[in-house]
Amino acid sequence: MMSIAKHFDISPFDFDHAGMMSSDIKRTLKQLKFNFAFIKKISVACYEAEINIVIHSVGGYGDLKLEDNHVYLQFIDRGPGIQDINLAMTPGYTTANEESRLNGFGAGMGLTNIKNSCDEMSIVSDPNGTVLKLKFFITEDSYDEH
Amino acid sequence: MKLETIVQKYQCTVYTPDIFQPEKDIAFGFCSDLMSDALMIMNTVRDEQVLRNAVLITGLTTNQSIRTAEMLDIGVIILVRGKIPANQVIEVANESNIILIGTDLTMFNFGGALYADGIKGITAKK
Repeated sequence: MMSIAKHFDISPFDFDHAGMMSSDIKRTLKQLKFNFAFIKKISVACYEAEINIVIHSVGGYGDLKLEDNHVYLQFIDRGPGIQDINLAMTPGYTTANEESRLNGFGAGMGLTNIKNSCDEMSIVSDPNGTVLKLKFFITEDSYDEH
Repeated sequence: MKLETIVQKYQCTVYTPDIFQPEKDIAFGFCSDLMSDALMIMNTVRDEQVLRNAVLITGLTTNQSIRTAEMLDIGVIILVRGKIPANQVIEVANESNIILIGTDLTMFNFGGALYADGIKGITAKK
């Protein structure tokens, strides 16, 4: 049955390459004939999570796992962690620096946007790093009608 | 409104002539320098055709404008305030098949002009 796994390293403050993981995953999902809405919500969540590692962490990686009935994304970085997850989930709250803002991010909407896009989300964080796991269920609505 | 008409009427510069589509129909637009806001609002759009016929109007000349448009399936970015993208950004736009255009107008004036031309804004769907 269908099973795909991909791994992507994500470098801190590398705005030239930020988004390459999301771009790759979007192309992969397009090849698998998922519909517009399904691909868009995964792409947007992936991109926001990828950018979070770029602008907030000392570096990390992202993994895609695609199995029969779900798409699974996980993002793991090596710190410095999110001090207050509830506060970070508040729309508009941001700790992003000036460079991130100059690149169009740091609006304080990242985690909110991710949460609104996925079916299941878990986030665990301490000073050694953050683990963000996202799940998207593949249903008949994930494909266009034939 | 045809993309070619927008380019001519507002004396825009086309930075990606190889992939330019003069006949592309533009019916919707969204203005922002904050890509998270663009992602949040346009992620709520359910109708594929809205984003396919939309332009992202921004002053942000980095790769992140291109990536944002790519994630949302928006095919056209219009840079305002006379900003000129770096060659490397133009390369990413070409690779991602995103048409990149520039105008000297400010964001408010350009957005207002397009609105007067009948281009509709994209708003968040609850």
